[in-house]
Amino acid sequence: MTTWRTGLRKALPLSWAEVLVLLALAALAALGLGAAVVRFMRGLGATTGLSDAYPWGIWISFDVFIVPFSAGAFTLAAVVYLLNDERYHVLVPPVVLAGLLGYAMVCAVLLVDLGLPHRFYNIIAFLNPKSFMFEISWCVMLYLLVLVLEFSPVVLEKLGWEGPHRLIRTFTIVFVSAGIILSSLHQSSLGSMWLLLQAKLHPLWWTPILPLLFLLTAVAGGLCMVILVSVLAAKAYGREVHTHLLANLGKAVAAFLLVYGGLKFVDLAVAGELGLLFRPGALTLLFWAEVLVGIVAPALIFGRRRLRESSGGLLAGSLVGLVGLALNRANISMFAIWRPAGTTYVPSWMEVAILVGALAAAVLVFALAARFLPMLGPAAGEGADHG
Amino acid sequence: MTKAMLIDTTRCTACHGCQVACKQWNDLPAEKTFNQGSYQNPLRLSAETWTLVQMREVEYEGKLYWSFLKRQCMQCLHPACVSACPVGAMHRTPEGIVVYDDSRCIGCRYCMTACPFRIPRFEWDKPAGYIRKCHFCFDRQAEGLQPACVKTCPSGALRFGEREEMIALAEARLQAHPDRYFPHLYGKEEGGGTNVLILSALPFDLLGLPTLSSEPVAVPESVLAPFEYLGQPTLGTEPVTQLNDELAHVGTPAIAVGVAAILAGMQWYSRRRALAARTTATKEPKP
Repeated sequence: MTTWRTGLRKALPLSWAEVLVLLALAALAALGLGAAVVRFMRGLGATTGLSDAYPWGIWISFDVFIVPFSAGAFTLAAVVYLLNDERYHVLVPPVVLAGLLGYAMVCAVLLVDLGLPHRFYNIIAFLNPKSFMFEISWCVMLYLLVLVLEFSPVVLEKLGWEGPHRLIRTFTIVFVSAGIILSSLHQSSLGSMWLLLQAKLHPLWWTPILPLLFLLTAVAGGLCMVILVSVLAAKAYGREVHTHLLANLGKAVAAFLLVYGGLKFVDLAVAGELGLLFRPGALTLLFWAEVLVGIVAPALIFGRRRLRESSGGLLAGSLVGLVGLALNRANISMFAIWRPAGTTYVPSWMEVAILVGALAAAVLVFALAARFLPMLGPAAGEGADHG
Repeated sequence: MTKAMLIDTTRCTACHGCQVACKQWNDLPAEKTFNQGSYQNPLRLSAETWTLVQMREVEYEGKLYWSFLKRQCMQCLHPACVSACPVGAMHRTPEGIVVYDDSRCIGCRYCMTACPFRIPRFEWDKPAGYIRKCHFCFDRQAEGLQPACVKTCPSGALRFGEREEMIALAEARLQAHPDRYFPHLYGKEEGGGTNVLILSALPFDLLGLPTLSSEPVAVPESVLAPFEYLGQPTLGTEPVTQLNDELAHVGTPAIAVGVAAILAGMQWYSRRRALAARTTATKEPKP
């Protein structure tokens, strides 16, 4: 009786509560997958709230938020391998996995979003170099490969495959550099994509420097993701929170956000559009909400030493930063685009279920990796070192 | 060089013959519609309705107008949809017609988002939907025929010919009857120019078209729904695709080369620093 229980515990070192959480995540992921199957069978009209007035909905807003969220992987890689600061290496594996899962979610959701998903490979067969959508698709595909390579040492270590492991280590600097170039390209191109909408995107958001603003927010948002993922993973799995390292990243977030905010307002002043900031209307409120939540609040939190050196402050700062980033991307991809009068968009439950399912699947994979792969380093009780 | 269509809304009687001719030539099914309180029927363009007589009752300078405007693809000289399309499904033929290639499309709908005139429509009701829009009867044009809508128009509201001829014709009308027209030829310069040109008695923002930013706006800006655009969308006279295309050609390689150079520089610097640290370490005398 007791022997099979101890045997099971040895094979599956999970508490009942943890098993229940994992099962709930699996159920949500299965529901999302089911909704995706229905969408493929019945088409976009029958299963979504999308229309000719709203050809893009919450799926695209999700994608243009998750891509800069996942930028954590490339910003941290830049710190470790290019500023050559080995201290930060301890943060890398969970952040790279989070980035990898982020991009995987984006690809899955995009596939569901495509009108002709069975022909996605046309993006490889036919090229239009003038299209930023083309450039983003290519960079995202290649960068996904880079992230797989960047994460592979963790898996190879678990499997004990010495040869491939050593090979990957030798070429790390090459594909990390490739990843940084690919990220700079597609994070800025995600902003360039809206340049064609000069007549439709509200002038508070449309500006020729959109690519620069998107790159800056991707760096700031990506660093917020590094902080959030590091603190949450450490708390959930009983590891030490590296507050002194994360505090430095928090300081960088504040700096990037202040540069970004400054540019934003200078750009409005140069365009002679400062008056728009005070015109009554919902869009003006959305703009100010974005500035307060996405720039002012995280800059204030990360600007205070006492706050950025506590895990509570780190959590709060990175969360408001990411909510502000999400609001910015939602404003640009949805709210601030001109629509014909009398048209509205309400996402269907299936659209929501597919997003929730993708998120649940990503969290599930992350949780399993945290348990079964040497990703988080030794537990705090086992004498963690910073090697 | 390219062919253009002139729509003179003051000559339109809203007979809807163009709508029917378009459906007949392109084998498009009828749409089931119902009374929506307007003669405009159907209410919007769709994957099955590529041209539509838009009907508006508009008060302008104290007078009530019942305006009829044939809506369709504007056939831009610098089409945003063509720059947007990642797979080149939307493209401009050597004759200057903006057409769509079914076999390339992946259904991303960026063309719909990018078009300043909101023209491309999607087949929402099909499991695998395509984009649909007016293709300026490229097949008829190839045989030297006029587009079906122009051919059928009984009132002379639609004319078709060389773009320069159509501009000259429109400008002659503006000059001959300044009392009849709002003094502007729409499409000559908007967004870099279109091959659908429009004459109207009313300012064009009242017809719901994006106007040049330099033009005075007639729409009052006060009555706005919560999430509606403040004011009216505007276009410049420069091509709508200019910034996008220049950035795609210059920006992408510049970012790739620039970032690569920065990375190489940082690598070189950190290696040198490591080397310097090692040499000072070896030179240090032993205690």
